[in-house]
Amino acid sequence: MYKESAIRGFQKGVRTLWGLAKIVIPVYFLVTFLGYTPALDMISRLFEPVMNILGLPGEASLPLVLGNVSNIYAGVGAMATMTLTIKQATILAIMLSFSHSLLLESAVANKAGVGLGLVVSIRVGLALLSGIILNIIL
Amino acid sequence: MDFMMYLKDSFVGSMSSVLTMGAIIIPLMVVMEILKDAKVLEKLSDRLNPIAKFFGMSNESVFPLLIGTIFGLAYGAGIIIDSAEEGNLSKKDLYVLVIFLLACHAVFEDTLIFAAVGANLWLLFTVRLVVAIIISYFAAKIIDKRQLVKED
Repeated sequence: MYKESAIRGFQKGVRTLWGLAKIVIPVYFLVTFLGYTPALDMISRLFEPVMNILGLPGEASLPLVLGNVSNIYAGVGAMATMTLTIKQATILAIMLSFSHSLLLESAVANKAGVGLGLVVSIRVGLALLSGIILNIIL
Repeated sequence: MDFMMYLKDSFVGSMSSVLTMGAIIIPLMVVMEILKDAKVLEKLSDRLNPIAKFFGMSNESVFPLLIGTIFGLAYGAGIIIDSAEEGNLSKKDLYVLVIFLLACHAVFEDTLIFAAVGANLWLLFTVRLVVAIIISYFAAKIIDKRQLVKED
């Protein structure tokens, strides 16, 4: 009965996966490449003090930045290159799920009638707060 | 630097990530598409009026809330804008809906993708949902108070 829906769902899934692969693969190559150069270490050390508050290693700043500037898939692609504990991966995931694709999604929310400043501060605020709290309680 | 090693690491690593995500996303999209065509959410919305009552929203808000939570912000916002233009949603409905969905949208897709890279699935899901409920509840209260003040 829902054969057509299933086929359409499958096609959508493939399309989503393709969109995701186009971002995850280049990001993975890029971050792995940075790992071979001193750049990743420099970025890590620079962000380490801030990331410590969130219970994350310095390098985790990379998925946070990529996820917020680009989209959730870029963040996931960068996360995939890293060896994280379950706690770290969960904190990072929760932060990224509150705040990602800031440029695009905030515009969408704004179009539905809520002010841009409010949108961005709710998202970034939730991400930071949840990161700090989860680091303490987990 | 060993360039071949780099290429191999990146290729194998990125492919296995994408395949893991594919194994999650494709079945999920099949289920969601069936859900959409079976109009499950339309039917469910009528029974979930208590949600609207909890936030002090109109019953018409429940459907866009479910759509956005499950299918994503872009899709949910589309429905919200349509309903708003038809005059079915008040300004308060709109704000509470958008604030809820900002914290919590496309939950199944996002949660499963993050689980694929090592996050705790249930914790991620629960935190997002609970936080969305709390902030929209308080947003609703604040909006009520302001409206009372305005009427004075």
